[in-house]
Amino acid sequence: MLKKKWGFSVLASVLLLSTVLTGCGGDDDKKTITFWTPLTGDDGAYMDQLVKDYNATNPEIKVKHVITADMYTKISTVLSSGKGVPDLSIIHADRVPGYVKQGVLEPMTDVIAAQPELKQDNYLPQAWSTGTIDNVQYSVPLDIHANVMYYNKDLLAKYGVESFLDDNVVTIDEILSLQGKLDEGDYVVNDALLGWVMLAQIQNLGGDIQQDGKPAVNTPVMKQAFEEVKKINDAGLMTPFGEDGYLMFQSGNVLFSTDGTWSSTAHAGVEGLNFGVTNVYSTSADKFTNRGSSHLFAMLKNEDRSEEKVAGIGQFLEFIRANSMEWAKAGQIVASKQVNESPEYQNYMQSFFTSNEQETQSLYIYTYEYYPYIAEAVDTYCGDIVRGNVDIDETLQTMQKFVEDKIAESAGAAQ
Amino acid sequence: MKKKMSLAPAFFVGPHIILFLVFILLPTIYGIYASFTKWNLMSDPTWVGLDNYRTILFDSSSTFHTQFTNGLKNTLLFVLFTVPILIVLPLLIAVSLEHKKVKGKGLIQAILYVPGLISISAGALIWLLLFNKQLGFVGNLFNSDVSWPANQPYAWIIIIVITVWGGVGGNLIIYRASISGVAQDLYESASIDGAGPIRRFASITLPSIRFPLIYTFVMTTAGAFNVFGQPLMMTDGGPRQSTHVLMMYIRQLAFGNGESIAGMASAMAVLLGIVILIISALQYYVMNRNAA
Repeated sequence: MLKKKWGFSVLASVLLLSTVLTGCGGDDDKKTITFWTPLTGDDGAYMDQLVKDYNATNPEIKVKHVITADMYTKISTVLSSGKGVPDLSIIHADRVPGYVKQGVLEPMTDVIAAQPELKQDNYLPQAWSTGTIDNVQYSVPLDIHANVMYYNKDLLAKYGVESFLDDNVVTIDEILSLQGKLDEGDYVVNDALLGWVMLAQIQNLGGDIQQDGKPAVNTPVMKQAFEEVKKINDAGLMTPFGEDGYLMFQSGNVLFSTDGTWSSTAHAGVEGLNFGVTNVYSTSADKFTNRGSSHLFAMLKNEDRSEEKVAGIGQFLEFIRANSMEWAKAGQIVASKQVNESPEYQNYMQSFFTSNEQETQSLYIYTYEYYPYIAEAVDTYCGDIVRGNVDIDETLQTMQKFVEDKIAESAGAAQ
Repeated sequence: MKKKMSLAPAFFVGPHIILFLVFILLPTIYGIYASFTKWNLMSDPTWVGLDNYRTILFDSSSTFHTQFTNGLKNTLLFVLFTVPILIVLPLLIAVSLEHKKVKGKGLIQAILYVPGLISISAGALIWLLLFNKQLGFVGNLFNSDVSWPANQPYAWIIIIVITVWGGVGGNLIIYRASISGVAQDLYESASIDGAGPIRRFASITLPSIRFPLIYTFVMTTAGAFNVFGQPLMMTDGGPRQSTHVLMMYIRQLAFGNGESIAGMASAMAVLLGIVILIISALQYYVMNRNAA
């Protein structure tokens, strides 16, 4: 009896210990490129397919796609311990300046040197150049995913305002012209991705979020941007505060939805929703901006990354450049020109944004190194400002201070 | 021989000790260390002494000070709103389930306990739909025309509702188990002496389950201080950051957008820990003394 108990406790502790400790070990397979992505949504499956297609070409080193929830936290952990750093990862455009400054990104120089087609001319220029810092290339782009504006064709027809789309710019004035003309329960525009919409208006008004490297949040341009968008709310044309405007668009009560390129697949799944896509509304008739970000392939610093692997990464990126039509299915604007200029790509709704030079240029990616803090401040406060819950001047001051305090705290740590 | 025998307890306690060391003690010590540094999670932490604490506690112009005070205030409100309900309600249910004429006790207990097994995010999505102005029943039932997550006091109400919904079952089971352990002859003799139900509850049930009561009170309070999921999912801290609790600020600082501000976040976490420690100790002291 005693013996039996003993055996059980030993077994139990061994089992426990082994579960605890397996997490710590893990040898990197020399014949596999470990590839981390933050693609936890549906897009992860499309990336899985791309990786599968690549591995089916029987490359010397295969790619292993690891969808990583909370990826940036995990990246911090593996970088500080130096163990388990992935060979390749997808990071967002706004992470590049910070990572380069902290010296945790490996330049793509060797990868690009071995693959002549991996060059700026073959990609959407802004997607490529977000990875260029001091003439060194740190990333190769996969896509641009932007804030765009979907419209409900039936509602546009119902209110006789299809002409809004004629010049591809829906202005705030045009939106305001519908005041008092809507049925009860209908709205012109929702507040999806409102922070991104605000950041687009900054560009439309000719402003910026920085001045000489210093954050510029509390500026006349920012104030003007907020006041312009607030007019839509004050006229009762924006979906009410706290309600799910995205859902209201899908249920056919909203003319325009300012969400992301990636939502097109979800909208397409809604029965009876007859929709199209255009540029995000603008303060002016002359300019429109679709604030975007980009998924970028990048290599985190890792001394164990062999030359063979670097060559393998190059081959994989070249394969993606030539074969990433699959990625268009996820709704994203594919960065590779070979893909986005091909006839097949024109079947996808988002091809609208690469249909001409002006459209391509409208996809704006902020590259200011403290952009993430500014985006956070804007996201935190934009709803309350636009809804008139708070005083604009006071809140802009708070936002400016918010960003400055965060920069002051992080700048010291980066040294 | 002697040595061999003394190994046995180590094998029983060992796994727990190792898990405790690896996942609780070491991270706690490192967290306290980090609170005295500037740290972005990647490069080495820079020692700054008490700077973080000074900023959080005394620099009233600092964003971190406003975040901490607002976060702590909202966390305290959450504790005040939910803990009494989470103690009294399960206790009342547990006592009423003891009544002889109540049928389906197991079923009732199961129905109340199951929500605790559902993840907060899944539960929150369902409750958000129930409270949705267009789709939910609440608008019709109360004839209300406001968006609950975006207006006070409704934002607090939905957070409390989902917390109570998910939290009642756990304490209920503890109370039921301990009440069933109370000797029946005590009740019988009390009845013979002419004690009514209220008297029996106050003089027999309550003193008999003193330790489970203290335990649930302390643990529920500590748990409530660590609130994160409910406000994040239900209101995202709004309206105007009036339900933005401290844990949300801490997480946002350490794992939010851009470069991590983990030192400041750790300092806030340590301060929160100290608050929890003091309040728990106080609760334990007061209740234990009163009960004795």
